Amino acid sequence: MSTIETYHRPSTVDEAWARLTEGGKHARLVGGGVDVALFDPPEITTLVDVAGALSTTIERTENGLNIGAGATLTAVLESPIAAEYLGGILVDVLRRVASPLLRNAATVGGSLASTHPWSDVITLFLALDAHVTRYGGAYESAPLAELIKDRGTMNRRIITGVLLPSPAPQTVVSFEKFVRTGFDVGMLNCACRLTLEDGACTDVRVVFGGTPDVGGRRDAVESRLTGARLDAATIDAVADLAATDVPARDDVRASAAYRRVLASAGVRRCLRRMAQEAGEAT
Amino acid sequence: MTITLTINGHTGTYEIDPGEKLLDLLRREGHMGVKKGCGSGDCGACAVLLDGRAVNSCLIFAAKVDGCEIVTAEGLSDGETLHPVQEAFLDEGAVQCGYCTPGMMISTVDLLTRNPDPTEEEIREGLSGNLCRCTGYVKQIRAVQRAAEAMRGGDRNDRA
Repeated sequence: MSTIETYHRPSTVDEAWARLTEGGKHARLVGGGVDVALFDPPEITTLVDVAGALSTTIERTENGLNIGAGATLTAVLESPIAAEYLGGILVDVLRRVASPLLRNAATVGGSLASTHPWSDVITLFLALDAHVTRYGGAYESAPLAELIKDRGTMNRRIITGVLLPSPAPQTVVSFEKFVRTGFDVGMLNCACRLTLEDGACTDVRVVFGGTPDVGGRRDAVESRLTGARLDAATIDAVADLAATDVPARDDVRASAAYRRVLASAGVRRCLRRMAQEAGEAT
Repeated sequence: MTITLTINGHTGTYEIDPGEKLLDLLRREGHMGVKKGCGSGDCGACAVLLDGRAVNSCLIFAAKVDGCEIVTAEGLSDGETLHPVQEAFLDEGAVQCGYCTPGMMISTVDLLTRNPDPTEEEIREGLSGNLCRCTGYVKQIRAVQRAAEAMRGGDRNDRA
């Protein structure tokens, strides 16, 4: 039996914020709604559906790719503009997120706000240096990497948009996830992005998610790559380092030991693909 | 609370609980082709078209769809004339217990509306949110291929 007593459908972000603050700890934001509907938290009595208040626009600007937080994952997946971003990485990743039935309802904003540890979207967006705009009485824009440090606020502010910055020339990116079946929750995911300058890796991002914690960058792995050539020796060394550096723990999906193996394999696969794309000999 | 909804072409107003799921509303209103399976978005038996896109109705709040258009498996046919997807599932025998079939057909309609000539891989991906515990996902694939062909006008020879 649902405990929901009130369902608001505000048409503006201001109004949505007013409803959320009015409801206090018993109120919850709803984007696509699948997450809230699934978990149906018993302490929640008020839902504030922001779908009518959020932009669903996906557009390329001089700063990068702007995605309205109300856009569904399917909308991004099917967007020709999004498909042009960094060799089609969004299409490559999103087609492996959940099922079409879920992607047709789940929104970009909701995917970030839920901060699921296994989130492929969060891992990828961290690697892409995503900037999130959100509202909490006033608008703020900050890197996802900063905001996600305080997971508690992610669903207590209204995420209104995401900017994926324009990549520098010679930037390559790759993503890997390990799942048992098609749209199962992954045992681990990994996203890598770097820019090659005169053959050397710069501006490196290596992110692991589902460790089983939510996605996070790995400084030691990024440092090992920075300045190095993307050759077989580097990739082997980075893969070895990833196995020891990843903050792996046991949970119902995989053991810590297995996750270390997956982290090593994941980063190796990503880097090999990136080297191949960049025409580096591995 | 009251919402207005168009279900299979008929617009009406419905009294709902604020936390009620679309699945429960539809079944309460007699649309029993919308099956209650897992209740957690895993099996796809409850799939309906929501403004043209297939969704798990078990994970959609009824209050969210105020003003929207819903099509269930029953709404695919035009009177006594079956939709090509329904015909194809019958012709290929892509049914055993039948519990997953309405959801499968809904996902198929969504897929073929956007991709009239899908590859087998694209079909499998399109149906990846619909579980079947009787069959081996062979006849359904054939049914989707058959439906796609019928909806394109029977141009199997045009395929590369």
